[in-house]
Amino acid sequence: MVKRVTCSRVVVVSLLTFAIIGFGAESSRADAAKGKSVFEAKKCGGDCHITQGPATEKTFADQLKKKGPELWYAGNKLKKEWMEKWLQDPAVIRPLEYNSIEKKNPGNHPKLSKTEADEVAEYLMTLTSKDVESGVIQANKNIQGKQAFEKKQACQACHQIEKTGKVIGGLVAPSLVKAGERLQGDWIYAYLKKPKVFKPVKRMPVYEGYLSDVDMKNIAALIASF
Amino acid sequence: MNKKALYVIMIFAVMMTLGKGISYAVTAEENYKFYCTQCHGSTGKGDGINVTKDMAVTPRNHASAEDMSKLSDIDITNAITDGGPANSKSPLMPPFGKTLTADEIKDMVSYLRKLCNCTGGK
Ligand code: HEC
Ligand code: HEC
Repeated sequence: MVKRVTCSRVVVVSLLTFAIIGFGAESSRADAAKGKSVFEAKKCGGDCHITQGPATEKTFADQLKKKGPELWYAGNKLKKEWMEKWLQDPAVIRPLEYNSIEKKNPGNHPKLSKTEADEVAEYLMTLTSKDVESGVIQANKNIQGKQAFEKKQACQACHQIEKTGKVIGGLVAPSLVKAGERLQGDWIYAYLKKPKVFKPVKRMPVYEGYLSDVDMKNIAALIASF
Repeated sequence: MNKKALYVIMIFAVMMTLGKGISYAVTAEENYKFYCTQCHGSTGKGDGINVTKDMAVTPRNHASAEDMSKLSDIDITNAITDGGPANSKSPLMPPFGKTLTADEIKDMVSYLRKLCNCTGGK
């Protein structure tokens, strides 16, 4: 008797759990679909953001005609919570206008409402690349990474970083100040390791052969800790 | 094999080679504009937009015959390929050996010689 009660309770509880999980998954799928509609309605695609991989850019002209970073691997690159906030209140990430080495970034990225931002973030998280392995990089302020980033190479020549409370560094690249809130460590490592996959044409040099695999892992862990 | 087929194959082969040439030929000037001016400046004077007051050493002035004649063609090749440290200079000069081909680097050395209107020392 006692046994049967417990047993049916187990059944009820697990059914409920399944229902909740199932419903959760169902609603986030629905949000992603809504996010895709918002993305399309606001014309975020086109020249601004490519959502279809793999990368096809071959020439400087292919890269220079783009008006914004490609998002076909956004689900691996960016953090969801960061996107939800940033899409409502887009602060400047690249000091200069996309692709420019002259003009200041006008900081005029379109803004979304909270609901739209949540839905679009949900959608962008579904855009992933098979070339990013997850669970490889943990954020870690490691001295070896710092050495490779600032001394062996000098990534700060093009990227802004925070050094003893001050922002320093070059202006052409996306700022890496607080990049750990924005970027996923596993993607940073993949970006350094397989530069042609994500961004075949860019002003940043290919570091393969100049940074070891360990250097790249240490640097990715370091940037993820920013 | 008949003549017609042979012509078709020949034309196809010519198109293949031409196509290749066109899509891969990037002039030194184009490479310089895309990769180097961000630090070395649009006329090579070392005043690119990445050069903020935080940059510990200024990029070499490629338009200065005095500065550039101190470097041999091999020095220049090494700096472009493996970065500043190849010449015991700053890593603020990045390595482009995996970004540009050996031929493109060779062309770049000639291009820099035109910018400084000078020849190499040593
Ligand atoms: C010569 C300038 C230059 C140097 C040196 C450079 N970068 Fe970059 N980096 C760029 C540019 C430009 C981009 C943006 C490419 C694009 O999306 O168009 C970039 C993008 C990145 C990104 C992706 C950021 C994002 O938000 O999309 C990471 C991570 C990165 N670089 C890390 C590094 C590391 C680590 C080093 C040093 C080993 C380094 N970079 C050196 C110019 C540079
Ligand atoms: C991120 C900024 C940056 C970029 C991009 C860059 N340079 Fe430099 N370059 C420097 C700096 C800084 C120096 C000076 C290093 C020193 O004196 O210690 C330098 C020095 C040089 C030198 C002199 C080396 C020597 O031994 O004196 C040459 C040649 C050179 N750069 C060529 C190029 C070419 C060609 C490109 C493009 C393919 C390029 N640089 C891209 C920053 C840069």
